[in-house]
Amino acid sequence: MPFTEGTVPVVQLEQVSYLYPHAGAPALKDISLKVRPGEFLGLIGPTGAGKTTLCLTLNGIVPQFYGGRFFGRATIAGLDTLEHPSSTLARHVGMVFEDPETQLTATSVENEIAFALENLSVPREEMRARISWVLEAVRLEGMEHRHPHELSGGQKQRLAIAAALALQPELLVLDEPTSQLDPVGAQEVFATVRELNRALGMTIVMAGHASEELAEFADRIALLSAGALVALGTPDEIYAQVELLRAHHLRPPQVAATFYLIGRTGAEPPRIPVRLEEGKTALHRLAATSGVNPPARLPHSPAGEGPPLLSIQNLTYRYGDGTLALCDISLDIRQGEYVLVIGQNGAGKSTLVKHFLRLLEPTAGSVRVAGSDTRACRVSELARRIGYVAQNPDQQLFNATVWDEVAFALRNLGYAPGEVAARTRESLESLGLLARRAVHPLSLPRGERARVVIAAVLAMRPEVIIFDEPTTGQDACGARAILDVSKRLHELGKTLIVITHQLYLMPEYAERVIVMGKGTLLLDAPLREAYHQVALLRSTYLAPPQAVLLARELPGEPPLLTPAEVAGCLACVLGGACT
Amino acid sequence: MSNLPLGEEREVKRSSGVSLDGAPLTYIVTLAAVVAVLAFVPLSVVLGSGKSFPLSQGIYPLVGWLLGPVAGAVANAIGALIGVFLAPHTSTFPVATISGALAGGLAAGAMARRGSRSRWWLPLSVVFLLVYLLYAGRAVFQNGARLDAVLAGSFIDWSAWLLFVLPTRGLVAGWLAHAEKQRVAAGLFLGTWIAAGLSHLTGSLAVYLLVNWPNEVWGAMVPLALLEHLARCLVGAVIGSGVIAGLRATGMVKPTHAVY
Repeated sequence: MPFTEGTVPVVQLEQVSYLYPHAGAPALKDISLKVRPGEFLGLIGPTGAGKTTLCLTLNGIVPQFYGGRFFGRATIAGLDTLEHPSSTLARHVGMVFEDPETQLTATSVENEIAFALENLSVPREEMRARISWVLEAVRLEGMEHRHPHELSGGQKQRLAIAAALALQPELLVLDEPTSQLDPVGAQEVFATVRELNRALGMTIVMAGHASEELAEFADRIALLSAGALVALGTPDEIYAQVELLRAHHLRPPQVAATFYLIGRTGAEPPRIPVRLEEGKTALHRLAATSGVNPPARLPHSPAGEGPPLLSIQNLTYRYGDGTLALCDISLDIRQGEYVLVIGQNGAGKSTLVKHFLRLLEPTAGSVRVAGSDTRACRVSELARRIGYVAQNPDQQLFNATVWDEVAFALRNLGYAPGEVAARTRESLESLGLLARRAVHPLSLPRGERARVVIAAVLAMRPEVIIFDEPTTGQDACGARAILDVSKRLHELGKTLIVITHQLYLMPEYAERVIVMGKGTLLLDAPLREAYHQVALLRSTYLAPPQAVLLARELPGEPPLLTPAEVAGCLACVLGGACT
Repeated sequence: MSNLPLGEEREVKRSSGVSLDGAPLTYIVTLAAVVAVLAFVPLSVVLGSGKSFPLSQGIYPLVGWLLGPVAGAVANAIGALIGVFLAPHTSTFPVATISGALAGGLAAGAMARRGSRSRWWLPLSVVFLLVYLLYAGRAVFQNGARLDAVLAGSFIDWSAWLLFVLPTRGLVAGWLAHAEKQRVAAGLFLGTWIAAGLSHLTGSLAVYLLVNWPNEVWGAMVPLALLEHLARCLVGAVIGSGVIAGLRATGMVKPTHAVY
């Protein structure tokens, strides 16, 4: 929606630049932007582009809390962010951050929402009325007395939104609110935010990498790169510029990528659709006029051979509080396989892989690594064979430099200094971190912090590497860099196990998919087969990539996986090269 | 910056929401929690009491440097108070535990080289001198301990006071703010000697009101107290080096009266 003259903007940034204390380069540079009341603005950009800094500028935390140098003027709901304290701005701006866990402090849903209201001395009756209202708005009615930690990931994030919403802000700012959620949890958050935006006219600014969802829900998209505003326009205008997005390490929605590839073959779609339903319509039209030519043979994943390297038999695991996390799971993973483990938040994926390292011990059943029962193995022995990259990189960082972080385990295992240096250098080089070797790991952006942890694990040269949500919070380039490393390791014969919700990333990498739901094994199949089990994936709150859904619109529902494969199907008949 | 921003530079007024003496409340709460957790870990025994004292004594000064004298003292006192209830095995006498924690943070925070807090050392040094005179004076004049034994047994206390009064106070502050990690570590070690020594002195005065060690105990304290104090300094230097490096790297907001 265009910005109309005469509308008083909720957000007005005039030539805003900002430098963090002691920083040499600006985190924001000459940003001028207006957001009108009731608008939904998506904020996209590569890792380190300044998205979070811009979000923090909107409630005055930047620069009031951080200090540093601030240029230009930022006005929110008519209030200059430098002239009004954050406590005043908080009445107008609600903030929701990436990780819902870090925002929830109370012991019940109701108390969580009441917390900010109590701090603002809202009268008791008013408080009760607002709690009821926001719970209804985010569809958490009836959960008032639940402990926040009993909620699912999507519910927790919706509770964080409810707590922000209770302040009745004019502007709701969400910084990557869905990056840690399963696809359906993310959809829940987007749907809730969109409903608040439409029904209440609340202005929304949402930063994130979820291009499919932002294309669907946002009114405008602002593209930030290196702190500067590079492009601003409707989702159709921004996401159709596939080359611009790729130049800034961003990923277009798969539907846009598909039609961009179709367009490059010589066929000229009237415009590049950026939303799934538009894509389906355009695909039907193209298929009806030109026909399709699905490839006769599609690449198949080789089946694993040899004795199992990792073997789970009738594994059941129950947490101390009685929660059944895994129920009678049996599976074998062979040397050199690349296995993708997927499932909703809380499906038991991380619980499963922690058994390989004996970080958890089976309540019933057995886990074997190279034929040995893990109960008979020491964790340190298993750690030499199996590298585990945990979900939150910060939990694995504790050294003062990137180099020391990567070298730490090698030194402790008694390798010679020359060997430590060689392996550390090789590992840092493979992840593009060598230039950062002297900096403190915590000074790096989240994406790079994750890569430091991966480098530290790779330096150990383990036989099996487990990546637990390695691409969370990464831009497209960062995610590719990590997965390309996994691919190289796989080509070297390593066994890879990757847990992720970002299914669209995996067709080029994984061979086999294990689908989990509520602690049970729902499916164990080659990737091409698993991705087309749409109903089963949805039963565990997963959404197949858009390319898969587009392929299912084609005659014969060919088991295609990627935009290139779908485009190739049409390119053949449109005169382009067949894939 | 190579290219100057187009917008006009604005004056940035720091306001961190709820704060105490320039230290955000969240920092105070977090560090109080750290002190409370470390209160569970016994560092050594307290002679004549059958109790121990906690590892948290090694970070009382660090908390003072991170938060400044007032907020540091408050965070230490809150953490120590919680520790008294949750980890009574490391608290000989609650008043001693809490007053010692408070004094450690206050002394460390007052080692600043600049700002209004840099003048706090003078009244504090008078107070600590009086505390020492009361402590040692009771031992010699009331309990009949030999002066040389008391001086040897309280070496860590009077040496801390001397180093606090001398320019070493400013030297420590300079090292703590230095870019080189080795200097920071040295500053933490020496600074912990000073501030944890004054914390020990304050706590010991309270403990001594209860236990009244005879002359023999003062003698036994010479090697023990020295060893324990070196352990405190080591704890402060090791934990502090990592914490300060991490804080600098993450660019977290520095409280107004922080000394690092």
